[in-house]
Amino acid sequence: MAIYLFQIINGIGLGMIYFLIAVGLSITLGLLGFVNFAHGVFYLLGAYLTYQIAAATGSFLVAALVAPLAIGALAFVLERGVLRHTYDLPHKYQIIATLGVVLIVQELVVVGWGPLGHGVTVPEALSGIVMLGGFPYPIYRIFVVAVAALMAVGLWLLLERTRFGALVRAGSESAEMVTLLGTDVRLVMSGTLVLGAFIAAVAGVLIAPIRGAEPNMNIEALGIAFVVVIIGGMGSFTGSIIAGILIGVIQSVMSTVWAEGSQLMIYVAMTLILIAMPRGLMGRA
Amino acid sequence: MIMTNNTLRSFLLIAALVVALPFATTSNTLAATILIYGMAAMACNLLVGYAGLLSFCQGVFFGVGGYVAGIVLLDTGIGLIPALAIATVVSALVAGMIGAVSIRRTGIYFVMLTLAFSQMFYFLAYSQPDITGGDNGLNGVPRKPLDFFGLLRVDLDDNQVFYGLVAVAFLAVYWLLRRVIESPLGSTLIAIRENGTRAWAVGYDPRHYKVLAFVISGAITGFAGALDGLLLGIVPLSNIDLRMSEHIVIAAILGGAGSLFGSAVGAALLVFATDLLSEWWPRWQIILGVALILLVIFTPDGLTGIWQNLKARLGSRRKAGTPAPAGERMGVE
Amino acid sequence: MERRKFIQMTAMAGLGMGGLPLRGALAQGNAADLFMVSAFSGPFAANGKYGEMGGRLAVKRLAAEAGRPLNYTTIDTQGNVGVATRKVQEAVAQKNARIFLGGALSSEALAMSREIHKANGLYITYVGADEVTGSNCNKSTFRWSVPTYGAIHETVAPVADLHPQAKRWYTITPQYVFGEGLLNNAKDVFKAKGIEHVGNSYHSLQEKEFSGYLANAVAANADVLLILNFSQQSIDTLRQLANFGLKKKMKIVVAWSAGLDHFSTLGADICDGIYFGVQYWHQHDVPANNEFVKLCRENFKSAPTLFTAQDYSITTMAIKAIAQANSTDPAKLIPVLEALKWDGLTGEEKVRAFDHQVEKNYFLLRGKPKDKMRDADDFADVVGLGKSFVPQDQSECKFA
Repeated sequence: MAIYLFQIINGIGLGMIYFLIAVGLSITLGLLGFVNFAHGVFYLLGAYLTYQIAAATGSFLVAALVAPLAIGALAFVLERGVLRHTYDLPHKYQIIATLGVVLIVQELVVVGWGPLGHGVTVPEALSGIVMLGGFPYPIYRIFVVAVAALMAVGLWLLLERTRFGALVRAGSESAEMVTLLGTDVRLVMSGTLVLGAFIAAVAGVLIAPIRGAEPNMNIEALGIAFVVVIIGGMGSFTGSIIAGILIGVIQSVMSTVWAEGSQLMIYVAMTLILIAMPRGLMGRA
Repeated sequence: MIMTNNTLRSFLLIAALVVALPFATTSNTLAATILIYGMAAMACNLLVGYAGLLSFCQGVFFGVGGYVAGIVLLDTGIGLIPALAIATVVSALVAGMIGAVSIRRTGIYFVMLTLAFSQMFYFLAYSQPDITGGDNGLNGVPRKPLDFFGLLRVDLDDNQVFYGLVAVAFLAVYWLLRRVIESPLGSTLIAIRENGTRAWAVGYDPRHYKVLAFVISGAITGFAGALDGLLLGIVPLSNIDLRMSEHIVIAAILGGAGSLFGSAVGAALLVFATDLLSEWWPRWQIILGVALILLVIFTPDGLTGIWQNLKARLGSRRKAGTPAPAGERMGVE
Repeated sequence: MERRKFIQMTAMAGLGMGGLPLRGALAQGNAADLFMVSAFSGPFAANGKYGEMGGRLAVKRLAAEAGRPLNYTTIDTQGNVGVATRKVQEAVAQKNARIFLGGALSSEALAMSREIHKANGLYITYVGADEVTGSNCNKSTFRWSVPTYGAIHETVAPVADLHPQAKRWYTITPQYVFGEGLLNNAKDVFKAKGIEHVGNSYHSLQEKEFSGYLANAVAANADVLLILNFSQQSIDTLRQLANFGLKKKMKIVVAWSAGLDHFSTLGADICDGIYFGVQYWHQHDVPANNEFVKLCRENFKSAPTLFTAQDYSITTMAIKAIAQANSTDPAKLIPVLEALKWDGLTGEEKVRAFDHQVEKNYFLLRGKPKDKMRDADDFADVVGLGKSFVPQDQSECKFA
C-alpha cells in the first residue's frame, strides 16, 4: 500500500516537470495555432547549456540562471528568422519546417558535445534524501517541484495580471481582435514563443542533474509535451498542470502495476481523451 | 479506356525511368529500396496531399505488411504471391481500423491520434518478440520464388530479377493510384479536403471516403513493407517506429503533396541523398534539416513546385514568341 | 573531414614508424580488403567513430605480420538495419567484399550475418545478441564478445559469493530480447546460489524515468539491485538511484556495462561501490593489452574504451587469420579462425569451433572512491574475471 502512495507522490513530482515542458507548447499552440515539433530542442539545449556553464563556472546556480535566458534569446532569433514565416501555412508545413530545425539542432549538439551524453552533478546543497514513509526521496526532486510550482505561480500571474498576459489570452481567442485594438500581434506572438521556450529550458536545466544531457532527449520531451497539451487542452494553463500531474502519476503508478506498459499508458490515455473529450480536460468548448 | 493519351505518355515516361534506375544508381538493391519507399510515399500522398489527412502512422502499415508477409513465409508453406496478398489485406484492415478512429477528429488532434497509434503499435511489435522477433527483428524471411499456379516459376534470388518484380509492382501501384485519383473517389476526397461541411451538404459522408482512403493507403504501404522484408531478408523493428512514419511523410511532402509522381521522386531523392551524403559527412542530416526549412518557406509544393515553376517560365517564354535577349535570360536563372 | 585527416595521419605515421617491408608485401599476394561496418551517423555514431580508431590501429600494428597490403574501408549503416543490409549487399556485388567486421546493433549484425553467409563471406562481430552464436549461427560468422550467459555468470555468481548474506535480489530488465536473455540466465544463477528473486520490473525501450522501478526494489526490501539494462538506460538508472541514496541501502550490480565511457559520463561519485560487468578493462595487466593501451595513449591521447578495444580485437583476428592462411578467401580463413588462439587484450583468447564464439574473459569491476583514483581513468578495480560460456550440449547452434 505504501508503495502506491509513494508512486503517487513521485508521480506528482514528475508531473510538475512535465507541466514545465508542456505549458509553453500549450500556449503557443493555443495562441498561434502553430505546431512546433521543435519545442523539445529548448529542453535539450537547456540541459546542455547547464552542463556547459556548470562545467565552466563550477556553479549550478549560475547555469540555472543563465541557460534559460540564453535559450529565450535563441528562441527569439529562431522565431524571427524561421518560424514566423510558417504561421500562415498549413500545419503540415509547420511540422516539416520544425522537424528540419530539430535535425539541425540535434546534429549540432553532437558536433559540439559528442554523441555520448554528459552528466551534471546535483549541487551539494541539494543532495541527500528525505524519507517518505519507508521510501527515500531525493531532496533535489523536492527542489524541482518547488521551482516548478513557483514558475507556475509566476506564469499564472503573468497571464492573469499583466497586459501581456491579457493580450496572450485575448490573442488565443481572436488574433484579429487584438490587432484591431492596436497592438502589434507579432510582438505578442514572438513573446509567447520565447516564453514557452524559456520555461521548457528551465525544465531542461532542472532535469539535467537527474538525467544528464544527451542528444536524443528532445524526442521524449516532445512526446510528453503533446500528450499533456492534448489531455489538458490547448491553450489552457490549468489544463497543463492537471494533465502534467495526471501523466506523471499514471506513469509512476504503472511502474508498480504493469511496468512494461508505463510508457504505453500515456498514449492510451491520450487516445481515450482525444476520442471522448477532444478539447481536453480544461479546453474551451 | 485504360488511360488518356496524356496519362499514357507520363506512364511510359515513368516506366522508362524505372527501367533506367538500377543503371543510374549502379545498385539493384538501392534502386529497389527507392521504389519501395516511392510506393510508400505515394500511398502517403493519397492521404496527405489529396485527402488532406496528415497521417503519422504510415510506418505502422509498412511494418505490419512486413511482419505479416515475413511470418507467413517463414512459418507456413504459403507461396510468395498469396503471402503478399495476405500482408496487403491485413495492412488494409489495420489501416481501416486506425482510420476509422482517427478521423473522428481533425487538424492537430487527428495528427496526434495517428502519432499515438504509431507508438502503440511500436510497443506491440517489440513486446511480442515471439511473434515479431522484438528488437532483433524478424529474421530469415525467405525469398520464395514467384509461382504462377505451378505453371511458371521465377526465382528471385538474383537481385536483378527481384528488382524486376519491384519495378512491376511500382508501376502497378502508380497506375492504381492514378486511377483512384482521377476517379470520382479522388475528386470527392479533394472536395472533402477543401471543404468537408459542404461535401456533406451535397450528400457525401466524408467519413466513409476518408476511411476508404486510409484502407487504400494502408494496403499499398503494407504491400511495400512486405517487399522490403523480402529485399532485406529481415523485418527490422525500425520499420514500424515513428521515425519511419516521419521519413515517409517527409518524402511525400518533399516531392510535393498533391503530386503522385512527385512524392515518388521525393522518396528517391531522400534515399539516394542520404546514401551519398552519409558517406561524405556523418552529420549530413544538418543539410536535410536546412533543405526542409527552405522547402517550406520558399517552395512548399516541393520538387513538384520547382518543376511547375520551371515549366511555367519556359512555357511563358514560348508564348511570347520572341526569344528573350540573352542577358535577361541569364538573369532569370 | 576528421576521418580523412586521421587516415592521412595514420598512413604517414605507419610509414614512418613500423616501416612496412614494401618488397615483402608486394611479393606475397594481393591486398586484403577489410570492410568495417558500423554506425557513423545517427544515434549510435559513437560506435563507428571510436571503433574505426581501434581497427586502424590494428591494421597499422599488424601490417608486417599480415605480409600483404591491408585496405580498411568503413561502411556507415546509420544505425539502420535496412541500410546495413543493403550496403553489405552492394559491397558484395560491386566491390567484391568478402571480409566484414563490426556491427553497431544486434539487429544489424543478425541481418548482415545472413547476407554475408549467403555470399560465402567472413563476418566477425561483437554484438551481444545470443542468437549470433546461438540459434542464428552460421559458418561465416564469428563473435568476439561474451554473450548473456557469461555476462551473468561472471557477475552475479561472484557478487553472490562476495556477499553471502545478501539473499534478496531485485532485477530491472529492459524489454529487449537481449534483456530477456540476461534475465533468464540470472534466474538460473539465482537458483544455483540459493538467491531469492524478490521481484522484477520490465521497462520499455525508450524509458528514461526509473524512479518507479527503484521504488519497487525498495518496497521489496532487496539487498541487491541487479540492473540488466545498458547504454543510456543504465546511465539514467544509475544516476537516479544514486540521487535516491539507494547505494547505501543495497548493493548495485550492472551486468552489462560499456566500461570506461560510462564511468567518465557518470563520474567517480556515482560509480563508487557499484559492481560492473565489462567486456574489456584497460587496466588488465597482460602484455598485449599493455601495449595496446600504450599505443592508444600515444595516438589518441586517452585510454582506450570498449569501442576501440573491440574493433582492435576483431581486426586483429582477421589479420592473423589472413597471415596464417596466406589467403583472403573466406573458405580458407574460416578453418584457420576456428583453431585460432592468441594473446588478446583480455588475456588468452581462442575461438570455439562449434559455434564460432571467442572464449575470453569477462570482468567484474567495482567502482572506487575519487580519492583512491590514481589517474583520471582509474575508476574501478578488477575484483573478478573468468570465462563462462554455454556448454555445447545446451547450445542452440547447429551449422547448417
